[in-house]
Amino acid sequence: MSEDKREKLLDLLLKKAVHGLDEAEQREFDALDPDTASAEIHSLELTAAAINIADASIDEPLPAHLYSKILADAGQYLGAAETETASPWPTVKPNSYKAETERSGQSWFGWLGWAAAAAACIALALNIWITRTPENNQAIIKPTPEIPKVLTPAEKRDEMMRSTAEMVKANWTSGNVKEMKIEGDVVWSDEKQIGYMRLRGLPMNDKTKETYQLWIFDKTQDAKTPIDGGTFDVNSAGEVVIPINAKLKADDPAMFAITMEKAGGVVVSDRKKIAALAKVENQTS
Amino acid sequence: MTNAILQRIANGDKNAVEDCLNKYGGLVWSIARKMLRNSDDAEDAVQEIFVDIWKNAARFDESKASETTFIAMIARRRLIDKIRRSGRRISADSLDDVLLEPFTRSDKDMQTGLEAEQAAEAMRNLRPEQQQVLKLSIVQGMSHQEISDATGMPLGTVKTHARRGILQVREYLGLDGTQLSQEVRA
Repeated sequence: MSEDKREKLLDLLLKKAVHGLDEAEQREFDALDPDTASAEIHSLELTAAAINIADASIDEPLPAHLYSKILADAGQYLGAAETETASPWPTVKPNSYKAETERSGQSWFGWLGWAAAAAACIALALNIWITRTPENNQAIIKPTPEIPKVLTPAEKRDEMMRSTAEMVKANWTSGNVKEMKIEGDVVWSDEKQIGYMRLRGLPMNDKTKETYQLWIFDKTQDAKTPIDGGTFDVNSAGEVVIPINAKLKADDPAMFAITMEKAGGVVVSDRKKIAALAKVENQTS
Repeated sequence: MTNAILQRIANGDKNAVEDCLNKYGGLVWSIARKMLRNSDDAEDAVQEIFVDIWKNAARFDESKASETTFIAMIARRRLIDKIRRSGRRISADSLDDVLLEPFTRSDKDMQTGLEAEQAAEAMRNLRPEQQQVLKLSIVQGMSHQEISDATGMPLGTVKTHARRGILQVREYLGLDGTQLSQEVRA
């Protein structure tokens, strides 16, 4: 292979791994020797993924409504492994998620759906008829399938309070932003490395411009470099409960501070806008 | 075992779905928000990514990559597809924030596994321009032309930095390519 051709080929592979290919480029890629293309592209994609992970600051959990939706939808895909290709590597088909639902009405499987609906109607009619006779009730009651419950942060906080013997607790006071009057508390378990903030009076933020960020002043850490406790946004008025997402192990926190930072958060805060402070007075049991 | 979750999903264990969301939900959400820069788009994408994960769980091979890297790779494929379809262009005014951030925070190694740790180390060993180009292209999803426009680097220079950078990181990670890239790199 000429040097020019090798260069062009590598450009194509790199583009596929990092930016994806257009149709013409994809045809070019498909015409490559499969073994060479496969080995190259997999190693480049893994490299790009590792770089991505290395940079990812996991400072915000998956939003609760999204978590619930994904969890609720997952059942229909379990066991539905892709089988049409021999490749051991994942396939991603453009917009497959939406296509799954759109396609269903176009195939004969759609007729199965209608048939199932008709059967369900018959079953419902039978059910109503049968349940008119009280003695039959016991025989036809079936257990309702259990749907895993996704706890809200407030419920998780309650659970932590119930199940944790020792934790630190502190009350929020306002910081140096005069217009903010903050109330609430923060609880933290050294043992479990989890904690929750309960806050009232923290204004909703424009998450495209700024975010709130928690800092944990641990007695074992220099006060100049508190532990990043994660960023969060406030989307509603009233009381909010926010889980703490400490990026390092926090043992024996002495103080918690919430600052306002640029969107995405910062590594080191200039501490110009401190929304709230909570000093730990003593450990509670 | 690091691969327990995907294996359990492949076996149809519904409880593993929740474990997967708890362990990797934040990572996938973070990658999606950075690459798409729009929470609504990211929400759609993350749903599609997890469908891809459920469907591809059985393909995971721990001898080739960690579970974290495998999941990030699935996420990237979906996000790249989204970006290409949207024809998105990144705004230059958000670039300063990207460039001013250090490549990694010190806490990453606790959460993201050995490959990511090694990738971060490899990135720190690159020239600053190479780091910058890789960060903009891989993490922020910018095209080479967009990077050229935003940074003022000639397009050819951007491509060279991107190519050399990613090949160096791959070599550092010990991921084998083929004779092709070894010859070109030489």
